[in-house]
Amino acid sequence: MAGALDRLVTLLLEGDSQAALAEGRRVRATGQDGPRLVVVALETAMDRMGAKCTTEHFNLLEIMLTGRAAMAVVRDTFPDGVGAATRGTVVIGTLQGDVHDLGKNITKMVLAAKGFRVIDCGKDCPVTDMVDAAERHGALAVLASGLISPVVPLVRQLRQLLRVRGLDAVKVVAGGAALKQCEAATLNVDYVAQDAFDGARFLEALDAVPQ
Amino acid sequence: MNGLERIVAAVRFERRAEVPAVPQIFGHAARIAGQPLRDYLTDGAVLARCQLAALARYRADAVFALCDVSVETEALGSRLRYLADAYPLVEHHVLADPADVAGLRVPTPTSAGRMPQVLAAARMLRNELGDTVLVAGCVLGPMTLACQLLGAERALYSAVDEPDAFERVLDFAVEVALAFGQAQLEAGAHLCIVFDPSASPAVVPPAFFHELLAHRARRLLAGLKGHGGIANWLHIAGPVLPLLPLYRECLVDIANIDYCAAAAQARAAVPGLCLDGNVRSLAFVEAEPAQIAAACEELLDAVGPGGFILSSGCEIPLEARPECIDALVAVARRREI
Repeated sequence: MAGALDRLVTLLLEGDSQAALAEGRRVRATGQDGPRLVVVALETAMDRMGAKCTTEHFNLLEIMLTGRAAMAVVRDTFPDGVGAATRGTVVIGTLQGDVHDLGKNITKMVLAAKGFRVIDCGKDCPVTDMVDAAERHGALAVLASGLISPVVPLVRQLRQLLRVRGLDAVKVVAGGAALKQCEAATLNVDYVAQDAFDGARFLEALDAVPQ
Repeated sequence: MNGLERIVAAVRFERRAEVPAVPQIFGHAARIAGQPLRDYLTDGAVLARCQLAALARYRADAVFALCDVSVETEALGSRLRYLADAYPLVEHHVLADPADVAGLRVPTPTSAGRMPQVLAAARMLRNELGDTVLVAGCVLGPMTLACQLLGAERALYSAVDEPDAFERVLDFAVEVALAFGQAQLEAGAHLCIVFDPSASPAVVPPAFFHELLAHRARRLLAGLKGHGGIANWLHIAGPVLPLLPLYRECLVDIANIDYCAAAAQARAAVPGLCLDGNVRSLAFVEAEPAQIAAACEELLDAVGPGGFILSSGCEIPLEARPECIDALVAVARRREI
């Protein structure tokens, strides 16, 4: 099975959306198990990209290209969205006062390609909107992104706001250039992700534990 | 030695020179002076007064005639949203498509957007301070200006999907930087920092820098030096170690590193190149002054003698604790490299 998916994995890692789309269709056409195989290929590609990003070779452009190709294959395989999400729901947003949403968008693509259902609250987002979304969608985690330091006080509010709603079990993850300079305790969050894949690994471990 | 002399000595790797202290104080200067940030960012006279207040408070070795990273894109037609006490946000990028760059013209720095305010600030600071401390101006590097013109996501995808048009955006960005930078030098800046965080290996692979950005950086830096800049200061953040060996051919004299790059490794990568950095910028908000002092001492031990400017390697946050900045300057004053 793995050999049959190698080409799709390679095309995803190369960020070649059109070729990945065509290869994804070819894989799906191989039989009833096709969509599941596509999911395996997506997760394999993301795992390999994640492994690469633990070295000195991390860069946003390559992840964006792989993420874009992965999203094209996901949309083509699951046009109504059903079946695409194999893991839990997470809420993501770039906090109020910050419009730098590139890192958030990349994280969203990585998580979606890994099978998470991602609720995107957008950029310049009030913390209450993220808490509302977590409550409405039964999220297992809220992911707050921030490139600039003025968002730090906003991140610190998240856990208390979740607690007030009775959402104590919802984990809070912070990431982005400004926030990743901080300790989790300083931000009053469960985890500070150094990059999208680091955050994904934390969420994968979380998702594996029965809530 | 005065502040400017310390910096020049560092660039020249002079032995037994004093360590220059250059905390990157931009908008924090407005806080120190009790001025609204918006006034600081829109009025060159206010900016200059606030920088002078910060200089009086901290006794560092440089002042900065710069507003924010949106000056150029605003002057070219992007729409900003100004905030009371934070940097403005780009609400609408002037370029929807990289090919549209053909319709843009290099702005006239004496009249376009807030560029005249930057020039006024440089002029006032130099008139006031002469050659006692460094008066630094700033222009965006080509990759960062491309991202500011198109939006970062659009810019990065277009670099791959529409490479020819994207390269025309980069070339245009160099022309903008040259015009604005040279005007700042004429107004009194000793040098213009080329601020290009989007060229970081955290954003694009080193090969991208090598193929698309290095020769443009060289053209820009040659043009600034040729116009009287006393040194070329390239400010790229993140894991820059793979880029540093290219800096010499880009004509860089001062290489910025932030906390993502280990100072000792950076020194080993480019032994003869002056570095500035790299105390973690958020530490100036969260840490104790003693921790800042310890980090600075450790840093100076790591880089060894000569060729180093003690700095934050990134902007000191607006809400920084003044006593933490004092700690950085104090370490520099009692050390000699």
